[in-house]
Amino acid sequence: MTERGPRHPPLVETSGLGKRYGSITAVQDLNISVRRGEVYGFLGPNGAGKTTTLRMLLGLVKPSSGTAKVLGEEPGSPHGLQGVGALVESPAFYPYLSGRDNLRVMARYCGVPRQRVAEVLMQVELAGRANDKFRKYSLGMKQRLGVAAALLKDPELLILDEPTNGLDPKGMADMRALIRRVGHGERTVLLSSHLLGEVEQVCDRVGVIHKGELLTEGTVDELRGGGGILVKVEPVEEARRIAASLAGVRRAEIEDGMLVLDTDPNRAAEINARLVSERFRVSELRPAERSLEDAFLELTGGETV
Amino acid sequence: MLASLGAELLKLRMRPSTWVLGLIWLAVIVLLNYTLAYTLVSSVPPPTVPEDTPKAQKEQLREQQEELQEQQLEFLYPENLVSNLTPGFPNLGAPIALILGALAVGSEYGWTTFKTVLTQRPGRYAVFFGKLLALGIVLALLVLLTFTAAAASSYVIAGLEDAPVGWPAAGELARALGAGGLILAIWAALGVLLATLLRSTALSIGIGLVYSLVFETIIFNLPIQNKAFRDAREFFPGQNSSFLADSFSEQSQGGFAPPQPPVDAPQAALVLLAYAATFILLAAFVFHRRDVT
Repeated sequence: MTERGPRHPPLVETSGLGKRYGSITAVQDLNISVRRGEVYGFLGPNGAGKTTTLRMLLGLVKPSSGTAKVLGEEPGSPHGLQGVGALVESPAFYPYLSGRDNLRVMARYCGVPRQRVAEVLMQVELAGRANDKFRKYSLGMKQRLGVAAALLKDPELLILDEPTNGLDPKGMADMRALIRRVGHGERTVLLSSHLLGEVEQVCDRVGVIHKGELLTEGTVDELRGGGGILVKVEPVEEARRIAASLAGVRRAEIEDGMLVLDTDPNRAAEINARLVSERFRVSELRPAERSLEDAFLELTGGETV
Repeated sequence: MLASLGAELLKLRMRPSTWVLGLIWLAVIVLLNYTLAYTLVSSVPPPTVPEDTPKAQKEQLREQQEELQEQQLEFLYPENLVSNLTPGFPNLGAPIALILGALAVGSEYGWTTFKTVLTQRPGRYAVFFGKLLALGIVLALLVLLTFTAAAASSYVIAGLEDAPVGWPAAGELARALGAGGLILAIWAALGVLLATLLRSTALSIGIGLVYSLVFETIIFNLPIQNKAFRDAREFFPGQNSSFLADSFSEQSQGGFAPPQPPVDAPQAALVLLAYAATFILLAAFVFHRRDVT
């Protein structure tokens, strides 16, 4: 049975993590926690500090400040890495070796039996082209080989950095399906992306990073804001005054001729009854759903991904 | 580290450049030290002397030439395997070893494969020393193959000349194998260090070869008689590689005795060992400390 949620110690936890390159701050005071069994989206525009953070979690880059624990171990420690599979940025392999031989090399490094190579090749649907040289692979095949290498150890934690970067729409869809497949069950996935749709489709929880700082962390629904009701009502200005005075309504505004209420959507029936009793003509009432893009733009002050 | 060693050996074995460089080195040794040398020595025309030279003098000149030719041929026979082959290591083997060392590390930076390797499990020191150990095994095999190819060439030449076949003493052969291995190791270590510092294959090979050629070969071979300049040679890796290799050239080469090296073989070997250790430790330290970006 999958063990998820905050009751269990996080698989990844950072505290005040930071990285400076000379006068440039790549990441600062970063506090994130990734829980067992979830698919955690690390969302941010290009250059936000996502890759630097993942490199710090893997021990490739040493933090300038703060601490991090991955599977309870120091980042990059052989014991911790035993349970971690990773694909950082573009997949990097030996061009003169075939896909299969590249995985054989990696299997030797991580000390897994050779049979595992065939298993992961099947898992990423690359078995048919496994004997081709890596340099002849398409980008999509290279990405799949990267995921295969990350899966060799059958890791508890899978760290994938922009795995759909540069892929065509079909390649992206295939990769997302693969991520959902490998992230199924007890495996935890930490997925960095600058694609809102990808995060929305794949992730359980999201951390938004911008200019090296974590802006927010929560479920996708929490990030979208979840709360709110849209009401088409006449006359709208008087209705806004009444609605604003209701208990539990934090804000009442008019947008595009609609009354927008910042409140618990479960109170829709109660609000409708009150407006009708006040003889307002209510023709439509529905939960206000903010897109992740809207939420992101709001968080980053209008900067797009 | 055994896991890393296995992975590194697999990579080196399947890498075309390892085979190409090894074969070039073997071909050069067989071609220059034996095939060309034998062709030149055996095809020397009879001496041209004026017609009015007395017959006795003509005969004396012919005998002198035959004697010289015989001495030069003897140098190519199996008994002189060590003295013929070992001096080639600093001149021809060193650049090959430097390129192998630079490729082993520099290519990983070029292909950005260190990030893939280091996220597997072994740890940085295990990866680094596994790589060095695998490189050392390849160099050891290369030295053995070199002596085998040279031995085969010298055996064929002795057979062509109907000369008796004698081999160097086992102790001398072992010392020559060790010296050859040490000379290749120091230059491979320099290649590894340069590639680690520069994170590049091409630049490290370029700088290594320029250093070897300009500094160690051209400058130190200038006819400068200044004592400080001559003494300084004793502290440089290329010079000590030559001193160590030349210590096997005690015999006369075709009638000409090479000059004795200014330092003896044990001292040259110690200097080379110190350089190899320094290069390796420095490279390991940098590799362990530096971010993989």
